[in-house]
Amino acid sequence: MLRRLRALDGRLFLVILALLFMGTLTLYSAGRGTTQSGLWLKQSAWNAAGLTAMILLASVDPTRLFKKSLLIYAIGILSLAAVLVVGHRIGGARRWLAIGGQTFQPSELMKWVTLLFVAHRLGSRPMDRVEKQDFLGVVAIVAFPMLLVLKQPDLGMALSFTPILLLIPLMKGLKKRTLAVLIVLLPIVGVVAWKKVLRPYQKDRVRIFLDPESDPKGKGYQITQSRIAIGAGGVVGKGFTSGSQTQLNYLPVKTTDFVFAVWAEERGFLGVLLALGLYGALLLRMLEGARAAKTLAESYYCAGATGIFAMHILVNVGMVAGALPNKGIALPFFSYGGSSTLSVFLALGVVMGALHRARIR
Amino acid sequence: MDARSRYLLGRRLSVIQVLALGALGLLILFYGWLQIPRHGEFEKQALSQAVKERSLPAPRGIIYDRNGHPLVDNRKALHLVIQREDLPADPAVVADLAAALQLDPDEVARKIHTYRNAPKGRPLVLMENLDEAGIALAERVRARYPFLSVQVAPRRVYLGDGLAGHALGYVSEVDDQMMGRDPGRYQLGEIVGRAGFEASGNAKLKGVDGGKRVLVDQLGREVASLDREDPKAGRSLYLTLDAGLQKVAEEAFAQEKGAVVVLDLRDGGVLAIYSSPTYDPNLFLDRLSQEMVDRYLRNPVQPMLNRATQGIYAPGSTWKLLMALSGLEHHVITPHTVFYCGGHKSFYGHDFRCDKTHGSLDLIGAIAKSCDIYFYEVAARLDIDQIHETAEKYGLTVPTGLDLPHERAPRVPSREWKRRVKKEKWYAGETISVGIGQGAVGMTPMALARFYALLATQGKEFEPHLFHGFQDPATGARDATSTPLPKQVDTTNPDWWGVLHEGMAHVVESGTAATNPLVRQVAKEVPFSGKTGTSQVATFVDKAHYAQLAKHLKDNSLFAGYAPTDKPQIAFAVVVENAGFGSEAAAPIAAKLIQYWFVDRMKNPLPPPGGKVPDAFPVAPAAED
Repeated sequence: MLRRLRALDGRLFLVILALLFMGTLTLYSAGRGTTQSGLWLKQSAWNAAGLTAMILLASVDPTRLFKKSLLIYAIGILSLAAVLVVGHRIGGARRWLAIGGQTFQPSELMKWVTLLFVAHRLGSRPMDRVEKQDFLGVVAIVAFPMLLVLKQPDLGMALSFTPILLLIPLMKGLKKRTLAVLIVLLPIVGVVAWKKVLRPYQKDRVRIFLDPESDPKGKGYQITQSRIAIGAGGVVGKGFTSGSQTQLNYLPVKTTDFVFAVWAEERGFLGVLLALGLYGALLLRMLEGARAAKTLAESYYCAGATGIFAMHILVNVGMVAGALPNKGIALPFFSYGGSSTLSVFLALGVVMGALHRARIR
Repeated sequence: MDARSRYLLGRRLSVIQVLALGALGLLILFYGWLQIPRHGEFEKQALSQAVKERSLPAPRGIIYDRNGHPLVDNRKALHLVIQREDLPADPAVVADLAAALQLDPDEVARKIHTYRNAPKGRPLVLMENLDEAGIALAERVRARYPFLSVQVAPRRVYLGDGLAGHALGYVSEVDDQMMGRDPGRYQLGEIVGRAGFEASGNAKLKGVDGGKRVLVDQLGREVASLDREDPKAGRSLYLTLDAGLQKVAEEAFAQEKGAVVVLDLRDGGVLAIYSSPTYDPNLFLDRLSQEMVDRYLRNPVQPMLNRATQGIYAPGSTWKLLMALSGLEHHVITPHTVFYCGGHKSFYGHDFRCDKTHGSLDLIGAIAKSCDIYFYEVAARLDIDQIHETAEKYGLTVPTGLDLPHERAPRVPSREWKRRVKKEKWYAGETISVGIGQGAVGMTPMALARFYALLATQGKEFEPHLFHGFQDPATGARDATSTPLPKQVDTTNPDWWGVLHEGMAHVVESGTAATNPLVRQVAKEVPFSGKTGTSQVATFVDKAHYAQLAKHLKDNSLFAGYAPTDKPQIAFAVVVENAGFGSEAAAPIAAKLIQYWFVDRMKNPLPPPGGKVPDAFPVAPAAED
C-alpha cells in the first residue's frame, strides 16, 4: 500500500482532501437536527472507500484498463438495461439497482466507462489517421447509454455524458464553418427538444429558471430559497451550523443538489471563492494530465474527465444560484451519494495513473 | 505520442482551459453579485420567513366575592390553532383538514377566509379547549398538516357550578356582529365579556396581550424564541356579592322561576342577585352546539334572561307603599285617613274587589292587611300623572344603574306614556288598577329592591353596584375604592317614614306575611319588615276557576322589604313566578336569606365555592404561553 501511495499525484490529492473536508462539514451542518443527521458519517464512509479505490487505481497502468474497456462498456450497457427492467423506482424514475440491500446507480459510473471506451477507441490510432466514420462511431457509443439514461428518465445525468463529445474538436480542431453550422443548428435542436423530448416537469424547470419569482411558493420554491440562502450569506457567511435557511429547512434538497447553497450561506462569498478556486485548481491539474500523458488514450481520458468534472461543477454551482436551469446533478465532494462518490474517485484514480506514468517517463 | 500531436493537443487543451476557467470566473462574479450588493435584500427575505410574531393572550382579572373567595379564575387551556401565515389556500386541503378534525368544512373555510385579515400574530383557533381525546386527534392530524400547532391560552373557569351565573356572565370570542356594530373597538379573535359583569366590567378585567418573536422552520414549527413581551394580566377585583348568601338564594328557589336581589344598606352593594332558571357560564365559553342553542337560547322559559334586571313584573301589593307616598305627597290622604272596606266597591261603573272584608282601616292597617279597597280609594283621588310624578321622585321610572348590561327600566304609566306607546288616551278607571300595582305598572326586582332600600333608609337612593374594588396587587386586599354616596330623597314630612315602617313591620308580625310558619319563626329571632304582593298573570272568575289554571297562568308571588326592622342592614325583593300568594312562596325565601345573613352566617358560614381549580394539563416549559 505504502508503495502504491507514491503513485499519487500530491497536488491533486491535496486539492481533493481540502474539498472533501469542506464537503463533509457542509453535509454535517445540512443534516443537523433532521432525519439525515447521520448522513455525513455515511458519506465519510463512501469517501474513505472512494479514496482507497483511487489510490489502488492510481498505481495501475491505464493501458491495462483500456484493453478491457469494451468488456466494461458492455457490462455497463447491460446494467443500464437492467435498471429499466428491474430497477428501483423512486419518485417516478427508475435509476437504481438494488444489490444486497444497497442501491446503486449504474449511470454514475457509466459515463466514466463510456469515456474509457471512447478514449481507447480514438487513442488506438495516430491522431491524423482518425476518420469521419470513427467519429460517427463515437457518437453512437455515447448516444446509446445516453438514450438508456433518458429513458429512466434522468435528463441531468444524460447531459453529463455530452462532455465526452468534446474529444472530437479536441482532435480535429474546430473550423469556422463548423462553428457557424453549430450556431444555426443549436436553436433548432433546442426547439425540437422542447416540443418532443422534454417532459412537463423538465419544461417547468426551464420556465422557473427564466423567472424564479413567478411562483415562489410553488415550483420556483427551490431556486428562490437557494438564492436567499446564498445572498444571506454575504461576504463572510453566517458561520458553521448558523445559517437560518439551512437550519430551519427552508433550503430544499440541501444534502444533494443544493448542498452548495449551504456552503455559500455559512461561509459567504469568501467560502465560495475558496471552493471554486479549489475546483479550478482541480481542473487545471487534470488538464495537466491530458497534456503530459504518455499515450493518446490517456490524454483523451484526462481531457474528457476534465470536461465531465467541469460540467458537474459549473452546472450544479450555476443551478444553485439560479444562473442555470434547475437540473438534478451532483456536485463532486459535496453532494451526498454513494454511486457518484465512488465513480468520481475511480475516474480520478485513472487520471492519477496517467499523471504517475507521465512522471516516471 | 508524436510531437505534432502533442503540440496540437496542447493548443486545443488551452482553449478548453480558458473556457472552463472563464466559466468559473463568471460564476464567481454571479455569486459575488448575489452575496455582496444584494446581500441586504436576501437577508431581509430570510428573516421575514423565519421570524414570526406570536401574540400572548393576557389572562383576565380574577373575580372574588366580597370575602375574597374566588368566583371566576383562569386556567391554562390548549387550543388547536393555525398561524395566519400558514392558513391553507387550497380548498381540497381545507376540506380534508376539516374532515380529519371532524369539523364542519364550510365553517372552517369561512373562518380561514376571515382570518386572512387577522392582526399579526393572532392565530385562528380551530378547536378550543382540547381534552385528552382532542389532543390525541390533533397530534394525529398534525403529522399530516404540520402547520397546525397547539397554543396554550388562559381560559375562564367559573367556580361553584355556575353560582351567580347571570351576575358573572361569560366570555367568548368576539363575533362578526359585535365587530360590525363597533368597528375598531375589538380585534378579530379577541376574547371579550359577552354577558353579566364580564361584559359590563370588560374594560376593568381585560389585560394587555403580550407578544413574542420566534424562529419558525419551514413547516411553521417554532424552533426558538427571540424576544418576548410578557402579557399583562387584567386586574383582579372584588364584587359585592357574598358567595354564601348567593348560594342560599339559589337553593331557596329550587325549581321555581323568578328572581331575588339583596342590597347592602351601607352602600347599595348587591349582596346577592339571582335569576331562576340560571345557567352555568362554563358552558358558554366555546362555540355553542345546536343542543345548547335549543336548550338555552330558543327555550321559551328564557334561561338567559336575567329576570332580576330584565324581568318586568306587575308589582302587585308591593306597589302600595308607593301609592301611600303618592297619596301623602299630594295631600289626598294623611297617615290617619280611614277608609271602609266592604269587600268590594264600584269605581267608574266597574266593581273592584278585595280578597277579604276588612272594615274600617287606617294607612298602617291597610298596609299590614294589604287592603285593596283602601288603595283603590287613594288611587281614585289621584291623577295617573301624580302617581308617575311620585314614582319619578323616588327613582322608579329609570333603570337603577346597576353595573350589569341591558338593565330594563321599570314601567310606570302616565298620560304621555299611553299616548306614545298605546296611541290612546288615559282612562281614569285605569288609575284604579294601578293603585294595587296591577294594570300597566311593571317593576324589575332590582328596581323594587332599591325602592325598599330607600324606604328602609328614610329616603336614601343608592346606586346599586356589583363592583366592590380592585385587588391591590401587593397586599391582595381590596383597595379603597369609594362607593358613590346615596342621594337623599326627602319627603314633605319626615314623620311619614315612621308610619310606613310601622305598616311594614305589622305585615311580618301579624299581617299578610305572618301566615307563613317559616316567616314567623325567623322573625322571632330577627324581626324584619316588608310587603307581600300577589300579582295577577291571568284574569279568573273565582277561586275554583283559579285552582284549575295552568301553572304558568297562576299569580306571581312577591315579597319586598328590609331587615332587621329597627336598624335595617339589608333590603331585598323576591319574585316567584306563578307561585300564588306572596306569603306562600316569596316571603319564605326572604326569611331564609335573613336567617342565613343574620344568624347562620355568623355561626356556620357556607364553604367558599369551588376553590382553586388545577390546570387541566401540565404544560411543558417549551410550550409555555
